[in-house]
Amino acid sequence: MSTEVTSRQPEAVREAFEQEFGRFARFRGEGRAVALSELRLADAEAALRELAELRTRHAGKKSALANLKKQIGRVAPEERAAFGQRVQQTEAEIAASLDEAEAALRSHAARARVELERLDVTLPGRRPRRGHLHPITLVRRRLEDIFVSMGYAVEDGPEIETDFYNFTALNIPPDHPACSVQDTFYTTEGFALRSQTSTVQIHAMQRRKPPLRVIAPGRVFRRDTPDATHNPMFFQLEGLLVDRNVTMAHLKGTVTEFLSRMFGAGTRTRFRPSYFPFTEPSAEFDFSCFKCGGTGRLAGEPCRLCKGGGWIELGGSGMVHPNVLRAVGIDPEEFSGFAFGFGIDRMCALLYSLDDIRLLFENDVRFLEQFN
Amino acid sequence: MLISYNWLRDLTGSEWGVAELCKRLTMRGLEVEGVHEAGDDSVIDVALPSNRADWLSHLGVAREVGVMTGRGVRLPQTESKRTEGRAADFTSVDLQAHDLCPRFTARVVRGVRIAPSPAWLAGRLQAVGLRSINNVADITNYVMLELGQPLHAFDLDKLGENRIVVRRARAGETIRTLDGVDRKLDTEMLVIADAARAVAVAGVMGGAETEISDATTNVLIECAYFAPASVRRTSRALGLQTDASDRFERGVDPESLLRAQARAVALITELAGGAASEDAIDIYPRRVARPSVPLRFGRVGALTGLDVPTADALRILDALGFKVSTGGANGSGAAKPDGAIEVAPVEPGAQVVFTAPTWRYDVALEEDLVEEIARHFGYEKIADELPVSHNVGEHRAHEGRRRAARRALTSLGFDEAISFSFIDAAHDERFELPPGLVAGAGGGGGAGENAVSASKNAASDAGGGDEKDSGERRDPRFVTLSNPIIEGASRMRATLLAGLLASLRHNFNHGTRDVRLFETGRVFAAATDGGERPTERESFAMVATGGALEAGRALAPRELDFYDLKGALEAAADAMKLPPLEFAADDSARHLRAGQSARVALGGQAVGFVGRLSDEIAAAYKFRQAVFVCEVNMTALLDAGETPARYAPLARFPSVVRDASLVVDRSATFAEMRRSVLGMNLEDVRGVALFDVYEGERVPEGKRSVTLRIEYRADDRTLRDEEADALHRQIVESLERKFGAQLR
Repeated sequence: MSTEVTSRQPEAVREAFEQEFGRFARFRGEGRAVALSELRLADAEAALRELAELRTRHAGKKSALANLKKQIGRVAPEERAAFGQRVQQTEAEIAASLDEAEAALRSHAARARVELERLDVTLPGRRPRRGHLHPITLVRRRLEDIFVSMGYAVEDGPEIETDFYNFTALNIPPDHPACSVQDTFYTTEGFALRSQTSTVQIHAMQRRKPPLRVIAPGRVFRRDTPDATHNPMFFQLEGLLVDRNVTMAHLKGTVTEFLSRMFGAGTRTRFRPSYFPFTEPSAEFDFSCFKCGGTGRLAGEPCRLCKGGGWIELGGSGMVHPNVLRAVGIDPEEFSGFAFGFGIDRMCALLYSLDDIRLLFENDVRFLEQFN
Repeated sequence: MLISYNWLRDLTGSEWGVAELCKRLTMRGLEVEGVHEAGDDSVIDVALPSNRADWLSHLGVAREVGVMTGRGVRLPQTESKRTEGRAADFTSVDLQAHDLCPRFTARVVRGVRIAPSPAWLAGRLQAVGLRSINNVADITNYVMLELGQPLHAFDLDKLGENRIVVRRARAGETIRTLDGVDRKLDTEMLVIADAARAVAVAGVMGGAETEISDATTNVLIECAYFAPASVRRTSRALGLQTDASDRFERGVDPESLLRAQARAVALITELAGGAASEDAIDIYPRRVARPSVPLRFGRVGALTGLDVPTADALRILDALGFKVSTGGANGSGAAKPDGAIEVAPVEPGAQVVFTAPTWRYDVALEEDLVEEIARHFGYEKIADELPVSHNVGEHRAHEGRRRAARRALTSLGFDEAISFSFIDAAHDERFELPPGLVAGAGGGGGAGENAVSASKNAASDAGGGDEKDSGERRDPRFVTLSNPIIEGASRMRATLLAGLLASLRHNFNHGTRDVRLFETGRVFAAATDGGERPTERESFAMVATGGALEAGRALAPRELDFYDLKGALEAAADAMKLPPLEFAADDSARHLRAGQSARVALGGQAVGFVGRLSDEIAAAYKFRQAVFVCEVNMTALLDAGETPARYAPLARFPSVVRDASLVVDRSATFAEMRRSVLGMNLEDVRGVALFDVYEGERVPEGKRSVTLRIEYRADDRTLRDEEADALHRQIVESLERKFGAQLR
């Protein structure tokens, strides 16, 4: 092999490469950003495939370049170093051109693919529509949990009652207006639909011996024509504690504690004298408005929830009447107790600002799905 | 009751402003519900407890203010300007019914001139909501509102023989009352009569014929104490409730009749002229007894937690009009000769016996006195204390299970409903009841059918509730209200479905068509043996219709069907840790469409039904889309034992699955095929699951293609494909034989 021939060969290999590589040259150097920006993903992918072919042909095992590398050993010893150097240089230049173009195309293709697969992340997540518990269940559950944590047992009794449980044992005389067919539902058999959960006081005291603490949440019935503030059926929660040395201070402390847990620390209560046949002394209780903090004013206006009074009326309470204790065989000289009761529906109305409690039993999905 | 602020001030001399007064009244048990201006006066609306009849007057309220100020009340002037002759000179009273009228008094004013009332009198009455009539009639109303004692003025000259007879009404007797209505009386009603006829219904309303008119010159002022129960009965029987009857039936002060009468007579002589009789006829054979109530002072603190000094307790009771019983005093709370209580140190254990004032009907026990003392000492002084606990908290039985079931259902998109417990009796025959509530019902075929089939036709006629008599419709199986308030809703529900379907209708009416609801609550049935309280049981029901909605997406990916509801029921049961529920095709539930209904059982015991609502009921509700319903005996589910979670070692070797697509008759069920495979007892067969069901093209009519996925696994080695294939072949052959199945 003549020196002349061998000295020209690397040049020829390079020229052959550059001729074919020419159309990819725009993806190198200064101008590549412009060139790439006009390239769609599919074109970039095609270019990458062609580039891979080009690499095989010009830098692969069977390429002219590979051939040239095999000749290095056959070149005259005095020219071998120079020849080898030129072959290596050629190889490096070809590799650099290919790598540079390929890297540019690859990163462009990757970016283009990302753009193509870009999501609208604000589309709703995929999940079945969740159902909702009834607001009365939600409130009732919170109440039950609070009282259970305060040592109370949750009790229940029949919704259809005898006169004894609904009236007599509760010290309600037969001629009391509450007993009238105007106010209380009766069955044709003469049973009463319980008109207050206080009936459960009697069942509970017959089942358990003092000291006892129970609450009785449940349905009650009164003959009110449905309107925005009345339903002929509603839910009450009754609380009862019987022990030695129980006083109204314990009643007040207990009610204040539970209301603080329900409506937030700092809730204050107000007890006013009242009358219930089954308690003596009796009291109605109010609590400080949770909207205005009991100030009666909200943003300079009278608070709408408490009508500017700062207090919200909630329920009735008192010391269990001695006649009630005697009716279940508890000695009022040894034990005393307190009882309190309030409407769960009313608490719902307060908590959720309901303006019409008929909604509670219409089961309108648009209403139910507001609670969680 | 409406209270005039100025009037109250006249009686008390209190200088508290309206706001201060209202606050104090409220904190003493006279709850002020509102205040409005009326000229130079303020009218206070007070809600009174039902046991305080004595508060139904300005004097009654003034007494409470008097206790608060410590200055008592200023009773109004009762001296008549002119008197002449004795009452007996002009009239007589024959009291024939002592039992219904313990005291009757009559006084006469002669020579009056009936005229409109002066402005101050008419104004006060109007302020508290009464219409002015004439001077004499207004005065009787005024005194009632002032002192609490109802009075009646008769035109003396129109009374037959100018005399009064107090007696029971005669059989068939009638009277035209002041409101112009002719009323039939019965022989238990007390009347005021003259020589011939009834002239007033005692304690309720006067008669029109003896009413004060412009021509009246001589009047008889009746002031009496009628037995409360008698007035209540008469008022109810006549359907006539008046200011007078309200007061009499709750009790007026029998000892203040003469004062009220003197007050009225004094005002008449002042405003209408004339001369009053010097005295009154007063028939009061037996004084109305007042209860004596012992009080141990230590009980005040024991019940209220208040530390009330004995002197304060005595002061409060004295100011309220309680007297220490003569001879009843025990200890140092001795009565002075004038009856006032000597305020001396009293031991906390000491007991003093008090007599309640004659206007109080609410005091009978020591606790009542404790309340009076605490009330005026101030409930606001009671501390907040938590009682020492001797108890542990405890949820209702099964509360965890209830909550778990609710959670499972809400996570499947079901909203919780609560419906009224009373429903229209038209629903009686509409629904198959879950088993066990009503004798014989809901067993699924069998015994239940006979009991209801007789009345089935009648029920379908009743359909949309076109029955006119909305009152009670008795049915010995159910509980019926004798006095419903919502028209037609007289039946205590024996099923929750009536309420849920009504809710569904409501939702459709408001444009919501994709609805899933569940409800738990009591259902009711008559007791099986008479006299017993009705049966109450907890029921659980669901309805589902429309699309399987996804949150935030308007279009449901598919419509709900039978399997959605069945799946929800299974999920709830699973959450309750129940063993798997059993479902069997059952066309006997009359509210479900045949072929799409199943009887549900738990441990072999029927508990309810699930299925598609029948076309008849759907049409009655005007439902235009498929509705799926389910109701089960919740009590039975709650009472069933829990399936405990138990660990089983994880499989050490992989399993192999093989699918088999089999074309079978539509009558062949998945459950049977599955049971059949498992029944072969092949050792390495681990499970049979449903892969797919297909009907349509390339499957002949009357057939369906069921693809089963069968899992094979050995415990001691990796099962080879050939072994699995051999087992699979055996199973497919067996299915082909038993079910006439063909491999697709």
